[in-house]
Amino acid sequence: MEAQEKKVGIISCSGEERVEGTISRVATRLVLGKLRPNETVTICLPLFLAGGREEREFARDYPTITVDGCDKMCAKIATERYSGKPASTIVVTDTLKNYQCPKLSSRRKLNDETLAVARKVADRIAEEVDEVLKHWV
Amino acid sequence: MSEYLTTTFDKFELRVRKGFYYTKDDLWVSIENGKVKVGVSDYLQKTSGDVAFVEVAKPGSTVEKDKEFGTMESAKTTVELLSPLSGRLDEANTKLSGSPELVNSDPYGEGWLVIIAPHNIEFDRASLLSADEYFKLMLEKLQSEHDKLESR
Amino acid sequence: MDVSGQRKVIVIPCSGIGKAFGSISREATYEVTENLRKDTTQTLCLALLVSGDEESLRLVRNNKCITVDGCPLQCAEKNVKLAGGNLAGSLRVIDAYKENRRLKPRSVTFLDPDGRQMAAALAERIAKKVDELLGGL
Repeated sequence: MEAQEKKVGIISCSGEERVEGTISRVATRLVLGKLRPNETVTICLPLFLAGGREEREFARDYPTITVDGCDKMCAKIATERYSGKPASTIVVTDTLKNYQCPKLSSRRKLNDETLAVARKVADRIAEEVDEVLKHWV
Repeated sequence: MSEYLTTTFDKFELRVRKGFYYTKDDLWVSIENGKVKVGVSDYLQKTSGDVAFVEVAKPGSTVEKDKEFGTMESAKTTVELLSPLSGRLDEANTKLSGSPELVNSDPYGEGWLVIIAPHNIEFDRASLLSADEYFKLMLEKLQSEHDKLESR
Repeated sequence: MDVSGQRKVIVIPCSGIGKAFGSISREATYEVTENLRKDTTQTLCLALLVSGDEESLRLVRNNKCITVDGCPLQCAEKNVKLAGGNLAGSLRVIDAYKENRRLKPRSVTFLDPDGRQMAAALAERIAKKVDELLGGL
């Protein structure tokens, strides 16, 4: 347990105001719970912002991927400010331009089509995790 | 020199307070002026989640080694608290009824659970773990959880 | 007050991504802002306060705010205070849990039935607090 294990910290926005924030949150949870459970750790953004020591130290010592719902990029800005440049950044609104997206559902409850979009974003995050780990020195 | 033995698991730092004794069920024991203070280890509070209720036997009750003297409840789980020794429960930490989160935020300090007047501390102490021994046990538990995740 | 001049209470959840209670804080906030008190409340992205978004900062400084936290670390409350927000109430999911002990929400990504019930109970508490702040409107 003392040798540094290869883990990637995922910092997601939870943007309450818009559906892309919910997509960001759900996609991140899918990566943590299903797609890359052994390789990833979640960093709780509100705790990170409020000064959470463990969150900030982890983000400083391990590579991170930020997942933002929109181009305000709160997760990326916070990570850079408090810990260091993330290894990779994903912005959901940008990522969606690559898919043929249906009309997205409400921010509160994702319908099947929007959930399918969240799964694609999760796949994208998982690819980035693999890429970061491949280049781990 | 730190007063803790520490290790890191994912992003969490887990601490074992030096100078205390421990049980295999993750309680700590501190002997002060012939009485024994009991609490939960950092490992147990972390794995239990946010504590919402702590309920223990009334002051004046007799407690028996390895028998339940109370429960600790979070939304995630309910933990049976097994007494590390036999004796009389003299005091319960009354702060925990209004602020159970003290168990999470300060498990070795303000989050203590009970104080017991032991019947035979020398006899009961023999079966407790030292801080180093408990630290090793905690690492084994963490490794076992890690292996479980890997095999999923 | 929003642009139409109507007084609003801003309800801000922590949305902590690591625990079921974080998801419950989010869902309870949506229930209030989209249903129970949809004309007198709104929510906003907590992270925007820390990234310095002007509009969000103005909103929390000029209106009464209620924070809804998923754990005792109370990140929503801390972050709103740090932003100079007009904090008028702090609610915690754990207080709803204490009144509904039989509920054991487990799922984080998508709330299970116990999680949804707890969110509904918490939403009622938030709505009551909103009424108090707006003078029983």
